[in-house]
Formats: sequence, structure tokens, C-alpha cells
Amino acid sequence: RYVRQLQRLQLLFSPTAADARGARQFVEEAAQDFARQHPDVVLYVSPHSGPGPAPVLRAEYLNGTVREELIASKTSEEIVQLATKLANQSGLDIVRIRKPFHTDNPSVQGQWHPLTNKPSILTIQGPRLQPQ
Amino acid sequence: VAKTSLTSPPWPEVKLPDPVEEAKYHAEVVRKVNGLISAGRYGRLFAVVHFASKQWKITSEDLIMMDNVLEAECGDRIRMEKVLLVGADDFTLIGRPLLGKDLVRVEATVIEKTESWPKVNVRFWRRHNFQRKKIIANPQTVLRINTIEIYPCLS
Repeated sequence: RYVRQLQRLQLLFSPTAADARGARQFVEEAAQDFARQHPDVVLYVSPHSGPGPAPVLRAEYLNGTVREELIASKTSEEIVQLATKLANQSGLDIVRIRKPFHTDNPSVQGQWHPLTNKPSILTIQGPRLQPQ
Repeated sequence: VAKTSLTSPPWPEVKLPDPVEEAKYHAEVVRKVNGLISAGRYGRLFAVVHFASKQWKITSEDLIMMDNVLEAECGDRIRMEKVLLVGADDFTLIGRPLLGKDLVRVEATVIEKTESWPKVNVRFWRRHNFQRKKIIANPQTVLRINTIEIYPCLS
């Protein structure tokens, strides 16, 4: 059971700005294919007319993090790659991870401590068995 | 000949048991372990798996991250071969060096494919006015191990 961590993708651009050409081409050609390939992601396209903020692709994840990526002066293929990359990510912060693994049950046969595999008389009498 | 300090080696001498007795003992151990497996009386299983040029010790429901790109999409189930060791609470199955594919089955799902945190690669040469800065973000994949199963067909 796999749940995609991306909630929705919002594409904010203005139809008149010159640097949003790639965004407009993406909306015309590739947006439908992208939406069909990722059926569990909602894609909102909201053009705001007039000279407004720079064109932005905003991704919201299930844990509430919002990630914005600029799409000004990018070709339509690059936007497609960006969108797939965002769709494959989860909403965790991209910080240095200390360990590449994570377990909830680290030991199955019991964790090793210095007294495993030693004769059990050591636990009763202590480490000095023969008086030297 | 007189016994000096170097006639016998300093470690205690170990007498190996009879080969016939040892074969009987091995057969009995194998029979017991087979019985345990077929009765299903083992709890959590852990396995040592060779994956992405690294060896991992994994149990079920744990996360693993690799620094490369897998050719599977997010949400695909992957079966891991190259299992070196499988163990439970009472017994372990050690492969030489791999265990058979009809004996163990390790399944994992690809959860996410992100990039690493942006690492800065700066080359600087003092007094030569040489400075190059590059930001590297490796692609990473996160897998979650779903199940580890063993089938009773030991020999």
C-alpha cells in the first residue's frame, strides 16, 4: 500500500509575461498527460492576468510543507521533469540525514553486551576467577 | 625429548569430534530447524541483504535510503535477491555466500525518489584568484522493507 505524499500542485503564472512561456506551453501540451499519469495528484492551473509575481509551481504535501519552485524561463520538458521530481518526493525537509536507515526493532536476537557468549559463572562471581 | 615453552602452541589444544557423530548431530539440528520453520514458530525475521553495493541488516517495516536512482516508479514492489543471512530468535540460516531464491523472499516498496540536501563543492587556490563553486544534489531513493519470508525446504 503506497500513498503518494503530494497533495496538490498549483501552477501560478500570468499569460502575458514573457518568462512564463514555458509554463504556457506546459499547460497547453503536457499538463493533461501529466495529470493522467499521476491520477492521485490534483493539478490546479490559475493564471493571474497583468504583470504580477514570477511564475511559480507550488507543491503541497500531506504533512503541510509547501514547496515553491520558480519556472520562469524554463522549457516545457524541464517543467515536466520538475513536476515529476516534486511528485516523487515526500514533504520532509531536505536536510542532511545522519543515517541512511531507520529501524523500529534494531535487534532480533537480543543486543550484544560484553557478557554474551561468556560462561555464566562470570555474572555470579565477577571477573576475577583465579586469584593470581 | 624435553618439553620447552615452544613445543606446543600457546593456544589450548582442541580435539575435533568424530565425523560420524558430527554428521548425526548435523542431521538432527537440520531436522529440528526444519520442524520449527514448518510449524511457523518463529517471531521476527532479520536478513542481511547485499543491495546497491552495500550490505544492510534489515527487518520488516524499516526504511533504507540509497544514493542512486532505481528504475522502478514510486509504489512498485521490489523483490531483493542476494540474501546472505537470515535469522530469527532461535536459529540462523547462513548462506555461502548467498542463500537460495526458493528459500528466502524479501520484498520492498519504493516510497520516494528525492534529491539529497544541496552539497557545496568549492575549489579554492590561495593567492591565485581561483575560486569555483558548484552545488551538487544527488538523487536518492527511499525503500521500505515490507516482508521477509522463509519457506521450509532446507536440506
